[in-house]
Amino acid sequence: MESQILNIRGMTCAACAQRIEKTVRKLSGISQANVNLASEKLFVEYDSSALELSAIKAAVSKIGYEVVEKSENANVTIPIGGMTCAACAKRIEKVVGKLEGVISTSVNFATEKATVTYDPQKVRMSAIRAAIEKAGYKALEVNKADAADEDRVRKQREIKTLWTKFIVSAVFSVPLLYVAMAPMIKFVTLPFPAGIAPMEYPLIYALVELLLVVPVIGVGYKFYTIGFKALFQRSPNMDSLIAIGTTAAVLYSIYNTFQIAEGHFMAVDSLYFESAGVIITLILLGKSLEAVSKGRTSEAIKKLMGLAPKTAIILEDGVEKEIPIDEVEIGDMILVKPGEKIPVDGTVLGGHTAIDESMLTGESMPVDKKEGDQVYAASLNTTGTIQFRAEKIGSDTALAQIIKLVEDAQGSKAPIAQMADIVSGYFVPVVCVIALLSGIAWYIGTAGDLKFALTIFISVLVIACPCALGLATPTAIMVGTGKGAENGILIKGGEALETAHKINTIVFDKTGTITEGKPTVTDVLAIEGVSKDLLLQLTASAEKGSEHPLGQAIVHGAEDAGLTLFATEHFESLTGRGIEAKINGEDILAGNRKLMTERSISLTGMEEASDQLAGEGKTPMYVAINGKLAGIVAVADVVKESSRAAIERLHKMGIEVAMITGDNKRTAEAIAKQVGIDRVLSEVLPQDKSDEVRKLQAEGRKVAMVGDGINDAPALAQADIGIAIGSGTDVAMESADIVLMRSDLMDVPTAINLSKQTIRNIKQNLFWAFGYNVIGIPIAAGLLHLLFNGPLLNPIFAAAAMSLSSVSVLTNALRLKRFKPTTGTR
Amino acid sequence: MNKNGKLIAAVAAAAVLVVAIIAAVVQTAGGNLDVVGKQSITSFETILNTIPDNVKEDEINGGWSLNAPDGSVSFIWAKDYSQSPLHDVMLELDAAPFVSAGLDTDKLPDNYAAYDGMLMVGTKLGTEKTVNEGEATPLAAYEQIVNKHRSFINYHMDMDHYGVKLGDDNMFEWAKNMETNTVKNQNQDKDIVFALNPEPLIAAGVDPEKVEGWVYAPVSVMEGAKTLEVYKFLKPFNLK
Repeated sequence: MESQILNIRGMTCAACAQRIEKTVRKLSGISQANVNLASEKLFVEYDSSALELSAIKAAVSKIGYEVVEKSENANVTIPIGGMTCAACAKRIEKVVGKLEGVISTSVNFATEKATVTYDPQKVRMSAIRAAIEKAGYKALEVNKADAADEDRVRKQREIKTLWTKFIVSAVFSVPLLYVAMAPMIKFVTLPFPAGIAPMEYPLIYALVELLLVVPVIGVGYKFYTIGFKALFQRSPNMDSLIAIGTTAAVLYSIYNTFQIAEGHFMAVDSLYFESAGVIITLILLGKSLEAVSKGRTSEAIKKLMGLAPKTAIILEDGVEKEIPIDEVEIGDMILVKPGEKIPVDGTVLGGHTAIDESMLTGESMPVDKKEGDQVYAASLNTTGTIQFRAEKIGSDTALAQIIKLVEDAQGSKAPIAQMADIVSGYFVPVVCVIALLSGIAWYIGTAGDLKFALTIFISVLVIACPCALGLATPTAIMVGTGKGAENGILIKGGEALETAHKINTIVFDKTGTITEGKPTVTDVLAIEGVSKDLLLQLTASAEKGSEHPLGQAIVHGAEDAGLTLFATEHFESLTGRGIEAKINGEDILAGNRKLMTERSISLTGMEEASDQLAGEGKTPMYVAINGKLAGIVAVADVVKESSRAAIERLHKMGIEVAMITGDNKRTAEAIAKQVGIDRVLSEVLPQDKSDEVRKLQAEGRKVAMVGDGINDAPALAQADIGIAIGSGTDVAMESADIVLMRSDLMDVPTAINLSKQTIRNIKQNLFWAFGYNVIGIPIAAGLLHLLFNGPLLNPIFAAAAMSLSSVSVLTNALRLKRFKPTTGTR
Repeated sequence: MNKNGKLIAAVAAAAVLVVAIIAAVVQTAGGNLDVVGKQSITSFETILNTIPDNVKEDEINGGWSLNAPDGSVSFIWAKDYSQSPLHDVMLELDAAPFVSAGLDTDKLPDNYAAYDGMLMVGTKLGTEKTVNEGEATPLAAYEQIVNKHRSFINYHMDMDHYGVKLGDDNMFEWAKNMETNTVKNQNQDKDIVFALNPEPLIAAGVDPEKVEGWVYAPVSVMEGAKTLEVYKFLKPFNLK
């Protein structure tokens, strides 16, 4: 299966999104197709052996939407120095054009700039610059603004176009409204040109209105082209509603203009040109505000995208050379000075510094980095100069992975959106039917008052707002996931976001989650005849091959004590129990009580000491030499500073907290007591962790599992929500629904809080979107007038209400930007 | 065709459509955008032809008079504005009902004249000499008002009446179409109406409740497209 994100243009409402999803899902080989109306993106998962991407694009284009292609080629504008005449420009064009991979070159002598389109796979920008320099000219530094993000520029252009359309529309609509309304205002006599007075010159008055509405219809032509096209294809959208409503108003008004021309002057009272004009203007205003607000919902991801520096300094034969970030290759030696950003991911080879990784993890304290440490693209080098080897570039960097993860999440749908999706699918046709039936009913009910019936018909069409329904969920998810990313909380999708707010039980892995995961040796107890140093030396030598944190702690303990480790002849890890090794011909067994019992090794004399150590929260490890107990090496892990506060916070949120560990019961309980855990699941083998989660789920609980290791992956996958924490492994992060970039447990309540607030926001949006339509449509249909002789809704007010409903949904979603992380240790 | 080409073609097509609509409208209106003015002439002619005996030349005032069926009031319009001694459009009415109701004619404003038991109220339209292309007729004199002083002609939508404004909110109105002279589906059946602004008369001592032969009532009048309720002295007549 392959997945792709396609940028779609031309969608105006939830009905459009529905239509695209429906069309694409019909293609054979598609397993998933989700459209995010807010970000205007189509997420497809498909079988590339059965279906080509071009077929998906063709299907979308066929139903009238545009798939915006991302150019594979790069475009750069290079300022050129040293040109003296037009011939110089020609020469540069020639030399650059000759390079393999250059698609086009255009040199403007007047602006002294060369615009080059090239295939970055075939030619590097440095080669283009070199060619220019070789020809005798100076290739100056590329203006970074020239390489502006395509998508951002497109969105800005779209917003600008919408505003321009709105302004043009308003320039004609305001006088149109004045001409239509000024003579009718009862209590004030507004200045009015006598030559177009409706009672004296009704035909001129009507023609002036017609001439004023034409430019408005002109700038709003897309409502008609898209709306009628969709209508004829039997899948009407919001544009169809606007197109039908305003066309009815204009045609009726033209008919009445002819009536006036024939001498039926009363028809001057039945002109609706101003309704059509003002409706279009207000919808354009709403669309403009919507475009601005929509842009703000994806600010977080744009911020992430803008974090990476544009250039890097590489060391070539000891010489510093600044190159564009795209040209950095794996293995390049990169130099980063204080105050500069790390350009790609890699390992420090020289120097010492502190790096601010807050933009990736949310952690405000800079992290010390020395030789061997990992550095990540976009983090900020604060104090020292370092050299590091580039290991991950382009889309493989942590930053790129985070961006992809957030983008994917923002494109996913929450189950709560299903209802809105179903309603959106039927919404517009149903509204058309309601409008038509209301119009006919009132026409009959008023004994043929066409003017009244038309007012109702237009109002119903114009007030109905499928946009608000379509925007309610994706906008909140976009802001919510974006806000999470800003705080180092990566939520992988709408479903995770929704499920997280229902969590009532959280299971924490102990080592590396509640504790630092860096245990140290605290006690060495040897039986008579065995020296403590020898016991530690043998145990550490045996553990040398182990990757388990406890084993590593013993190795470090021996090294710190200045003991030399023996060579290991044989090593075997016994999952969940310990290790077995052969050293200097002696069989060494190190592990828990279960292992010793299995091997029938008597623990007499050491059990009491072991219990006591466990009661102190330490992990006692029995060591046997040649089948006889030799002593205990105890290891303890430090509880993280934030653990207690985070668990307290979760309790306040009404969530039960459990801890799962392979440690013995006493040790586990001691740790649990320290941090306030409600339920302890001890002596659980790694492969049994997911069973423990399943058991909790069987009790009817919604369970979140928080862990950091490979052995947590099955439990993370089994849980309703898997939360991978901090410097977790790739496997854990892959299995998790939520990834916490830091090791701070306070991010767990923050993530759940964010989920709760986002879901509340979605519910508010849906309530407003549904409520607005449920209340608005009957009022527009004249229900209040029918029941209580109440007011009728003027189509102009209906249009204003419709525009504001989308904007209000977006504004509410943007309130999530004010979300503050749960405070604890920070 | 490229995008710009399509846009230009669409704009051109839209412009042609708009021009065609406007041309069709103008053609329907008989080539004259002033449909009210033009059709009021036909309508006024119908009134004149309905009561030909009540239409006479008024030599004293230099114009034509249309007398009410009861003879108590006349609408007079000038033939030649350079010759008309007092007003170019006016009402001439019997002063007796108002005098009986307390009118002190000395207190009337300048647009009123009182002599010989009659009151005249109206306004000048101009001072230019009228040159008739054809025969001087009552209708030609009315056409002159439409053509040269169009702002004095109006259409009263609520009543479906045309009217001549006589200054100071005094009016002479007639039904646009006597056959369909209805408003809001109720037969109104008032083919001509003489209307006086009561305020100057009340200021000159008239007790409106005591004026006989005139109806003192609120009526809806048009101010622009606004409908306002004001009191008037009315003398309506059905000619059929």
